[in-house]
Amino acid sequence: MATESPAVPSGPAAPSFPIARHAFRRFYTNYTARTVLQAIVTIWAVITFTFFLIRLMPGNPVEVYVDFLVNQQNMTYDEAYSRAASQFRFDPNVSLVTQYVEYMGQLLRGDLGLSITSSGTRVIDQIARFLPWTIFSVGLGLLISFTLGVILGTIMAYKRNTAIDHALSFLASVLSAVPNYIWGLFIILVLGVQLNLFSVGGLRGNYDPSLQPGFTLEFIGSVLKHAFLPVLIYVIGSIGGWMLNMRNSTVSTLGEDYVNVARARGLTSSRILLAYVGRNAALPMFTLLAINIGFIIGGSVIIEELFVYKGIGSFLFWSITQRDYTSMQGVFLIITISVVVSNLLADLLYSRLDPRVRVSGGK
Amino acid sequence: MASIPYDLGGRSVRFTSNALSSGGVFFRALRRNRAGLIGFIGLMIYAVWILIAPRLIPFDDNVRLDQIASPPGSRLMLVTRADDAARYTTLDDLQGRTVGVLGNTSGEAMVEPYEEQGAFTVETERFSNGRGIPDLLEMLAEGEVDAIILFSDSVKEYLTSNTDAGQNEQFANLTVANAALGPPYLLGTDTQGRDIFSHIIHGGTTLIATALAAGLMSTLIAVMLGSLAALLGGVVDNALTAFANLVLTIPSFPLLVVLASLIRLDNPLLLALLIAALSWPVLMRAVRSQVLSLRERDYVEAAFALDLGLRHIVLREILPNMMSFVAINFIFAVTKAMYDQVGLIFLGMVPINDYTWGVMLYFGRSRGTLFSPDSASMVLSPVLAIAMFQVSLVLFARSLEEMFDPRLRTAKSPGT
Amino acid sequence: MEPILQFENVSRSFHKGRTVIPVLQDVNLSVNPLEFLCLVGESGCGKTTSGKILSGLLKPSSGRVLFKGQDVSTLRGDDYRGYRRSLQIIHQDPYASLNPTHTIYNTLSYPLFRHNLVRNRTQARERVAELLTQVDLTPAADIIDKYPHQLSGGQRQRVSIARALTTNPSVLIADEAVSMVDVSIRIGLLHMLMNMRTNLGVTIVFITHDLALAKYFAWDGRIAVMYLGRIVEIGSTPDVIGDPQHPYTRVLLSAIPEADPEKTRSKQHIQLRSEDIPALTDLPPGCAFHPRCPWFVPGLCDVHVPALARVPGAISDADVACIPLTEGVPLALHTP
Repeated sequence: MATESPAVPSGPAAPSFPIARHAFRRFYTNYTARTVLQAIVTIWAVITFTFFLIRLMPGNPVEVYVDFLVNQQNMTYDEAYSRAASQFRFDPNVSLVTQYVEYMGQLLRGDLGLSITSSGTRVIDQIARFLPWTIFSVGLGLLISFTLGVILGTIMAYKRNTAIDHALSFLASVLSAVPNYIWGLFIILVLGVQLNLFSVGGLRGNYDPSLQPGFTLEFIGSVLKHAFLPVLIYVIGSIGGWMLNMRNSTVSTLGEDYVNVARARGLTSSRILLAYVGRNAALPMFTLLAINIGFIIGGSVIIEELFVYKGIGSFLFWSITQRDYTSMQGVFLIITISVVVSNLLADLLYSRLDPRVRVSGGK
Repeated sequence: MASIPYDLGGRSVRFTSNALSSGGVFFRALRRNRAGLIGFIGLMIYAVWILIAPRLIPFDDNVRLDQIASPPGSRLMLVTRADDAARYTTLDDLQGRTVGVLGNTSGEAMVEPYEEQGAFTVETERFSNGRGIPDLLEMLAEGEVDAIILFSDSVKEYLTSNTDAGQNEQFANLTVANAALGPPYLLGTDTQGRDIFSHIIHGGTTLIATALAAGLMSTLIAVMLGSLAALLGGVVDNALTAFANLVLTIPSFPLLVVLASLIRLDNPLLLALLIAALSWPVLMRAVRSQVLSLRERDYVEAAFALDLGLRHIVLREILPNMMSFVAINFIFAVTKAMYDQVGLIFLGMVPINDYTWGVMLYFGRSRGTLFSPDSASMVLSPVLAIAMFQVSLVLFARSLEEMFDPRLRTAKSPGT
Repeated sequence: MEPILQFENVSRSFHKGRTVIPVLQDVNLSVNPLEFLCLVGESGCGKTTSGKILSGLLKPSSGRVLFKGQDVSTLRGDDYRGYRRSLQIIHQDPYASLNPTHTIYNTLSYPLFRHNLVRNRTQARERVAELLTQVDLTPAADIIDKYPHQLSGGQRQRVSIARALTTNPSVLIADEAVSMVDVSIRIGLLHMLMNMRTNLGVTIVFITHDLALAKYFAWDGRIAVMYLGRIVEIGSTPDVIGDPQHPYTRVLLSAIPEADPEKTRSKQHIQLRSEDIPALTDLPPGCAFHPRCPWFVPGLCDVHVPALARVPGAISDADVACIPLTEGVPLALHTP
């Protein structure tokens, strides 16, 4: 039978000059270039979306802030409006489109405006203060849960339909079903408060404030101790998904002909596991990685707030409760960009590992 | 679900199905899948819980200052002097006597009908911090009243673990005549002395209804846009897929938190709509590829050849063959909606109109009860209620997945 | 006699990413009323695509399709609907061609209701039973309320045929319609299809990769042999089978094993110059068969695209697309 695919329109609209179109095609066919381009378009779309959201929504932050200044600090409307304009970094006398263009220009220079509540502080500095902690804890959590999940998933697949498989499947379902902050509450309540295994209050913050930051054993120990609970929750919350997906992926890989052939050729089972099964079964995990990164970074808003861990998530929540809209806008952008960039890295890693993507430029 | 589409062809198709005329096969398959059975039973319990239990158990929102943060199982006690203990064990034994109670407590509510009938006189003490209970006990010790009704935990404090030597001597003659007056507080009381059990019974309805609505809307959006993209193809497909990828990339929970700070989410439907508006892309992409593959099926081509019309082809030929797939993803969408919803409530981003499990968590955190060893029930109860609901949903969905996905099924058990 | 269906220079290509796959090139073909026409060829030769274009499920990339002398792309309204219903297709895979969620009654009654061929349920059940009887599914009452998974492959294929008959078509395109059915019931199905011509006045285009089946089915009809998107030989079945002209047809026929092993062994087996079939995306210039053709004439076959024509002096009535044959250039077997 002929394998006929329906007519698939090729690529996005290309420039109309033949040479330019050719160059565009070449560029677009390159997997890396295309993935990066898509990431940039996504970031741009999110920036545009938040820009207009902040300014056009009924009861938008600028108006709310102006009202606040007029009512609370007895400013005149004009004074308040120009104050808001300087903090939100816009010129109230020009059109929205011009504001938008200027805003994009400022963003390109890394200028996210001034914090409303902590006067004189640049939003970008605040972000630089908090973001590394989130990247550290979320990254560590992902690394641990991914590694453990892939290993446990492979074990489940090899022991499929045994008691171990059933027990681990059940465990994975339960772990992934319960929201991660519910796990957090549960752990604080049962292990911390009832069983007194750790002091809940003592683990607040990113490290013991009496210590001087630096590359001392004591400080690093304190950092790890304070990150322990958030990381544990990130692991608990995402490991179930890895286990179940790796299990199913490995089970179907184990049924493939090339694995049977490898067995027939008398290859050792460890070689089959590493070179044939593991590699092919783990590939689909990378597409999941993209979704999971977004989910975990998103969830860090609650988790950091719950454990009083001073990362970007709790900073976002803080700026929301303080109605510090410039910080809020900046942090939301940075969170989105982190997710987009992590997805991009996962995609590129995937393309490195899967020769099919590298050659044909898409699945 | 009267009949579940079920695949017996077992070919390379992921989610084909045969509508079996009875649900019998579904239940037989469920019996073999223990985790799925647990999930199913769990869901049935929750159905009774949110639909029937609230009608049977009244919502008790009365603040009782003498019963703050009492442990599960606490109830009212009848306290008398030791020599009267044998005579006065129930309220009916107190004909013509005087009974002391605290104002605004369930004790007062309990003696009201007797007082109206003139069966006995009631002395009501006003509760204030540190007073009230010792005052009542004093009256009882001095013979001004013959019995008092008090909350068990507070009485214990004064009768058994009192460090005040004077009071110890004064109350030495007092004893509990009946430690089981009235129904117990199964889950204890919260920091305002309100019955946690009644909150747990009533606190799920809005939450689950909102999650179901959000899951339903998200699934509907996903199915509509996914089918549209797959069937129309071309520019529409490209645009919808790009849009889905964009929405998928934006971390939805932070965006929800940001939006919740700009929009007042006092209407559960609005909240559901917002959650749905951010959670459809994953399923939409899956539906799109399902429809793309189903569209190439021979029977769909035959339907085109027979000129049965696009409406028939979508509704009768394509959709029924992905119903199990859609149903499973609907369940996952509900769990996701629950996550978002409770998360928002927990952070205090949703106006409190309703005393839900989420609100209980919010108070547990904002009022610090989370960190107090005595009031564990206040947070642990909603934590377990939410966790068990999510687990039931996921176990049920996963077992459906195994039942309907021939790839998983055949790969799992080569013999069957 | 005016052909009921006609291809005029029909080409069809598919896009996969940025590569264009020419599946069908410049095909001319006419289907005469009440004839048995067989399209034969290997995988990827374009026979299924031809079938889909014939049945109107695909539009040609270029060229015209005529139905009863009218260009089908100009048909509108009732004319188009009449054309649409006149052509029905029977698929290869009896397990994929019936919707598993519908009962046989539903499957067959949807088109009846849709096209107002019946007025109510009673009439519909009567007509469905009649259709089932026509395809030898008796007693119909046993079948009518069943789901496809409760039927055997052969039974399903008969239901497929019954479904194709619901709109009273004038042409049936049977795409490998018996290939996936057990060999023991193929003949029964074939006879049933053949009887439809006399009983129901249906023209049947039979698409298959199996020359033996084609020979059996279309002995009093015609065979068109296809190779890489073009027809290479078309003529009456006895002539094409008994006296193959085109090198490709000769190769195909020489490769068929006969039931009698003596015969098979004594058969002259033609050695191809190459076993590899060129990819559609990378077709050789000139005649697409020339890289494999044992009678390849350099400078002729690899330059010009051959057109269909009678072979001068041959007894066979077939049109052949082979320049050396039609131009009378002497053929010499290449020996590898």
